[in-house]
Amino acid sequence: MPKDAQTAQDTLLDIRDLSVEFRTPRGRVKALRNVSFEVPRRRIVGVVGESGSGKSTVLWAILGLLSGNARVSSGRIDFEGRDMLRMSEDELRAARGEEVSVVFQDPMTSQIPVLSYARQMRDILYRREKMSDREKRRRGIGMLERVGIPDPESRLDQFPHQFSGGMRQRAGIAMALLTEPKLLLADEPTTALDVTMEAQIIHLLQELQAEFEATVVVVSHNLGLIAELCDDVVVMYAGEVVETGDVHDIFHDPQHPYTRALLECDPARLPERSAKLPVIPGDIPDLTRRLGGCIFADRCPRVMEVCRTDTPPDQPTASGVARCHLVGGPHADPDWPPPLDVLTVRTGEGGPRRAAPDQHAAPVLEVEELNVRFRTAGALPALVRRIEDPFVDAVLDVSLGVRQGETVGLVGESGSGKTTLGRAVLKLVEAQAGSVRFEGQEIRTLPEARFKPLRRDMAMMFQDPVGSLSPRKSVRALITEPLQIHGVRGVDFDAEAERLAGLVRLPKAFLSRYPHELSGGQARRVGVARALALNPRLIIADEPTAGLDVSVQGEILNLMAELQAEHGLGYLVITHNLPVVRHIADRLAIMYLGRIVEQGDAEEIFAQPAHPYTEALVRGVPQPDPDRRRTHVSISGEVPSLMNRPKGCDFVARCPYAQERCRIEKPEHRVQPDGRVHACHFPLR
Amino acid sequence: MSVNRSELDVGQPAVDSSRLPEEALEDTMRESAARERREKLRMFLTSWQGMTGLILVLVFFASAIFAPWLAPYDPNAIDIANRLSGPTAAHWIGTDQLGRDTFSRILYGGRVALKIAAIGVSVSLVVGLILGMIAGYGPRWLDNLLLLLFDTVRAFPTIILALATVALTGPSLELVLAIVIITSIPQYARVARTATLSLKAADFILAERSLGASTPRILFHHVMPNVVGPLLILAAMEVPVVVTVEAGLSFLGLGVLPPTASWGTILNEGYLVIRDTPWMVIAGGIPLILTTLGFTFLGEALRDIFDPRMGRGR
Repeated sequence: MPKDAQTAQDTLLDIRDLSVEFRTPRGRVKALRNVSFEVPRRRIVGVVGESGSGKSTVLWAILGLLSGNARVSSGRIDFEGRDMLRMSEDELRAARGEEVSVVFQDPMTSQIPVLSYARQMRDILYRREKMSDREKRRRGIGMLERVGIPDPESRLDQFPHQFSGGMRQRAGIAMALLTEPKLLLADEPTTALDVTMEAQIIHLLQELQAEFEATVVVVSHNLGLIAELCDDVVVMYAGEVVETGDVHDIFHDPQHPYTRALLECDPARLPERSAKLPVIPGDIPDLTRRLGGCIFADRCPRVMEVCRTDTPPDQPTASGVARCHLVGGPHADPDWPPPLDVLTVRTGEGGPRRAAPDQHAAPVLEVEELNVRFRTAGALPALVRRIEDPFVDAVLDVSLGVRQGETVGLVGESGSGKTTLGRAVLKLVEAQAGSVRFEGQEIRTLPEARFKPLRRDMAMMFQDPVGSLSPRKSVRALITEPLQIHGVRGVDFDAEAERLAGLVRLPKAFLSRYPHELSGGQARRVGVARALALNPRLIIADEPTAGLDVSVQGEILNLMAELQAEHGLGYLVITHNLPVVRHIADRLAIMYLGRIVEQGDAEEIFAQPAHPYTEALVRGVPQPDPDRRRTHVSISGEVPSLMNRPKGCDFVARCPYAQERCRIEKPEHRVQPDGRVHACHFPLR
Repeated sequence: MSVNRSELDVGQPAVDSSRLPEEALEDTMRESAARERREKLRMFLTSWQGMTGLILVLVFFASAIFAPWLAPYDPNAIDIANRLSGPTAAHWIGTDQLGRDTFSRILYGGRVALKIAAIGVSVSLVVGLILGMIAGYGPRWLDNLLLLLFDTVRAFPTIILALATVALTGPSLELVLAIVIITSIPQYARVARTATLSLKAADFILAERSLGASTPRILFHHVMPNVVGPLLILAAMEVPVVVTVEAGLSFLGLGVLPPTASWGTILNEGYLVIRDTPWMVIAGGIPLILTTLGFTFLGEALRDIFDPRMGRGR
């Protein structure tokens, strides 16, 4: 954002030297320190950063909605020349209602569940006294139509719970745009949505911004979203703006080592499958301490002596500023930044790419025709209400195998049944039909008492790294828990705890910590250590990178790969994150509505998907490259409810290639000569 | 809240860069955990409610435990000559209709109250906790059965239940205790059940199941530590209720039998002679009020500190 080129007239929002502190029992957290950036009119500005970067705090500060323990210690936020921090509560409320509005991350919690959309929209327009209720209603209908909600006339009188997730976010956008605000703020607008939905929402925001000539500030950790949507980018780290600039400059010529590292860590950016993913070592600094020097110095690959003592000034770059000694001033390095294909960050410790697993290796897990059904109504109510089939099929005829030393990626959107499948294998949910064999032994029908010894050989990693650790247990107790459960004798538990901590490279001192004192990455390591405690042969990992920042997820994936190479583990990785799974999976299984629609070699599937759904997923991932923006969205709509499974192909309503036969006949699983399995009447290859 | 935070502003010394970042991080974490503990302690120490409660409760405990050493007279020593004396140098708050020293009787009465409170609250807490966890974690039918049981017990007014049982067995201290325990179990059980229900589907419970942990292990190692906190606060608030129930039943002659001193019997006897002297009713009532107040204050202060969601509107 060149400051001189644009006159003040063109700057809608100007944030200067904003500092915010939070009073907490742990001391004062200096959440924002001297944050400055401008938002020019009619531009989309992306604020990007990892957790703890303060990006959301900026957003709440703009709205004047900081929590009660926050204090703005300095700075100003000028909106059309008026400082929002010094506005009275009344002025601020007027501005929030009419000129600034927000699209929230989770539409479920940000919309009022007991009011219909008609009522909520009327309330938003309460300041327009001259407008009659009929006009307001007409406006609401028009806006719903504009954001792509079919049949807006009757939908307007519905309640949030009657809308699906994607629809709800569309309605949220409609409500935000109702007053035709000058400034639209969006807080992680796609994080709660699935990949196919995300693409649609990005596309919608772009269209609407052009149409309403609105100015938009998007806060996100998702580099793909930022690259796809934004004109200008503000990169934040630990409460400071480290770099600003035009989206092309940020993604093609980043100046700050942190921006550079962040880009390098994004698995979607790596053109080739690589076994070792880049990582930024270390953790975000403790913001309760007095900080001196460069905020990124502790983790920077190019740290110099001066970085630890002197805070770098904002150095001008091609289209913005970068807060780094390397970029300008007496310590500038003419060779910085190196060309983009040179990695500046570490890629984990050595080791060549592990050999592809033996095609004839012994299968660890074989799942055949597995079915999991959930009851939707009790036996008696079903009888009374004449529901013939009070069940839904969460997992339908799934066959899947994992060999020794192999990683199988199980990919699907929410509601695809992938997590249920993983849990059914470990008998955490009951499967009704089919077979699950572990090393040749049938386990589905095994009673729990006889299955318990086998649990030693099969471990699970859960989605939420912190939430899957018993909160009142120390790390030491947590990672030796499996030994205690299985009554392992003759082992020194303390020594074992240290051995396991060493295995996952968790510093010994952490053994006496409790889960809430761990960061996401550290908690994930504890989860891995616990899973490994009894030397299992199969690990089912449910979203192993969920809740982790980009700079940390590489570490965990590298660790998992390393342990696999060492112990010959079989992994079943359950995820919706395609860029990640691409780097770790040998084979892929794509699930849709409880059925596997395609299965085969991972690289081949990425290169040439056979099922239209797979194609949509593979192409649907937003690329962290502003030059590769998509011009159209390949599939529309959303995952239908399990309650109304289509008669023909499950994907028929959303498939761009659907034909008459797809509506009538359910496609069977077919095996192609190269081993690819798919369920489609008209495969793409 | 008027907590003095100036101490927090003292700058932390800069991190010594010669040390491993790991150790520095370790120090930071230990420091901030210690700071959080200190802050909670300070919150407690500076809240007048918490401190008043704590002092009253300590006085109650001390006077009850050390009654034999503190009491100037034998609580049951009859001295007809000095009956209903009113405060004198020999009898600080007078004597009752049999000339027994009221002050000594109040101290001994505190022992009864403490005994009922300690045993009653702890037994019902433990039983309620276990039943509540079973109801919350177990199968649906068991949950429904236990809930039915809890609701049935709660449907009986305590006093009516006591009257009915006394009619069958005759009054005794043990009976009071049994009634107190039975009627307060459902409260603990319901709180424990709700908390357990919300944990049942938590990832860490699933994780334990996937490791093969048995149900008792999950309940006692992993559920209990997470549900017991609110129960302890509830217990602190429950003590005054138990103490008043005992006093009430004894007042009605359904509890502790004469000549044993209890705050309830003192009130009862004082009530009979209230036209001659008000001292017994006053002396019997004040410790009851102070104890009740003390435990309530303590319980509320603890809740404010450990469950910030409820009282942090400041």
